[in-house]
Amino acid sequence: MQEPAPTIYVVDDDEGVRNSLRFLLKSVGLTARTLASAREFLDSYRPRQPGCMVLDVRMPGMSGLELQQQLNLRGAIIPVIFITGHGDIPMAVEAMQHGAFDFLQKPFRDQDLIDRIQRALERDARSRAALAQHDRIRERFDTLTPREHEVLSLMTRGKPNKVMAAELGVSQRTVEIHRARVMEKTGAASLAQLVRMAMDLESSPARP
Amino acid sequence: MSPNPDTSGALAPVGVAPAATLHGRLLQVSRMATIGEMAAGVAHELNQPLTAIANYAQACGRLLGRADTDPAELRHALAEITLQAARAAEIIRRLRALARSQQSARSAVSINALIRELIELVEGDARLHGVQLSLALADDLPEVLVDAAQIQHVILNFVRNSLEALAARPSGSGRVHIGSGLSPLGEVEVAVSDNGPGPTAEAMSRLFDPFFSTKESGTGMGLAISNTIARLHGGSVGYRPSRPEGACFYILLPPQSGA
Repeated sequence: MQEPAPTIYVVDDDEGVRNSLRFLLKSVGLTARTLASAREFLDSYRPRQPGCMVLDVRMPGMSGLELQQQLNLRGAIIPVIFITGHGDIPMAVEAMQHGAFDFLQKPFRDQDLIDRIQRALERDARSRAALAQHDRIRERFDTLTPREHEVLSLMTRGKPNKVMAAELGVSQRTVEIHRARVMEKTGAASLAQLVRMAMDLESSPARP
Repeated sequence: MSPNPDTSGALAPVGVAPAATLHGRLLQVSRMATIGEMAAGVAHELNQPLTAIANYAQACGRLLGRADTDPAELRHALAEITLQAARAAEIIRRLRALARSQQSARSAVSINALIRELIELVEGDARLHGVQLSLALADDLPEVLVDAAQIQHVILNFVRNSLEALAARPSGSGRVHIGSGLSPLGEVEVAVSDNGPGPTAEAMSRLFDPFFSTKESGTGMGLAISNTIARLHGGSVGYRPSRPEGACFYILLPPQSGA
C-alpha cells in the first residue's frame, strides 16, 4: 500500500516560531503544516494522514497539554513532540507521562529537532503498518461463518478434533472440514500463526 | 571602574542595620518578588524571537551547503531574522521602561483615580470570595505627590487582608468598603474597612511588625511594607475598629499643596 508523504504539524501560537519551523523543516525536505492554535489543528487534522506533531506546551485557549488529552481521548496515534520554554519542565514531564513522544526546550539545535522528527515519523509508520495489518486480519476473520468462529475459538484453545466434535455435536470429519476452511480463509500457515492473529485482534490497538 | 581600595585598614561598618534600612530592604524584597515574576514572563517572551532566529539561521546554514539553493530563500530568512531581532529589542526596550517606572517615580495624582484603577483589579477577587465591595470617594480632594504603584500596593494589601479575614463568614455576607477623604489634620486618607472578626488583642500590638502574621501562609510583610511605603511618602498607616464590627486599615498622605 502506498502511503502519502508524511506531514509535520507545527502547532504554536507564535507566528515567528511557527514560520521559522516551517522554513527549517523545508530546508531538510520535510513538509510542515503550521497551525496557530489547538482548535485550528483539531479542525483540520485527518487521522489517515501519516506524520507527527511539533506542539507548543503553552498556548492561549486550549494548551498543548489539553490538545494532547483530546487526541488521547480520540485514540489518535500521531506522535507528539513538545516544545517548551525554560520554565515549563513540569509541564513537559506531565506531557511525557501522558504518552508524548519527546520534548525539546526552545531554542533548540536544528539537528536535535530533525532527529526527533525522523524517529517520530518512523514510529508513526510502524504504528500505521501494525494498524493496517490488524485491519487485514480483521477483514479475513470477518468472513468466517458463526460455526467457523466456534471452531476457531476451540482451535486457539488447543482442543483436539475429537473433543471439538463432541462439544459441537458433529462428526470428526465435519470438524476437519471446518478447520480447513478456517485456515484457508484466515490465510494462517500454521496453528501457531492462527493463534497469533487471534491474539492480535483481541489486543485491538488504538484507532486513529 | 572599581573604587580605590581602602588602604588605611579601617573596616566599613557592617552587620547592624538601623530599622529604617531594614524596612528599606523589605521594600526592596517585595519589589524584587514582583520583578522576579515579571522576569519569568519576559524570559518566555524573549525566547520566542530567539527561537525563530535560531531556526532561520540554522536553516540558512543548511541551505548554503546545497548547490541548488535559491538566493531568494536565503534573503527571505535573513529578513525574518532581522524582524525577529527587532522584536526582541522591542521587548527589552519595554522592560527597560518598566524598570524605570519601578524606580520610585513620584507624580501628583488624584488618589481617587488610583483607587478606581485598582478596583478593576480587586473586583474579580471580591466576587470570587463572595464579598460585596463598596466605594465612597470624597470629591475635591487635593492631589498627592506619590509613587502610584507603591500606594496602590498598600491599598491592595489592605483589601487582600480584608478578603482573607472575611473567609470565615458565610459567602455573600462579607463586605469590604473603600473610602477616601480628608483627615481632621488635612491629610488625604484612604480607608479600607470590613465586617470581619477584626484582629485579636494579641495581634493588635504587633500589626505592623515585620514577620508577624496571623495567617498560616502569611509572610508578615504586607502591613510592614505598607508602613514603610507610607513613611517614605511622609505619611502613615494605621488601624481603628470599624463600626459596628470589623477592622479598618487606613493610609494617610500629605496633600501636595501642603508639601
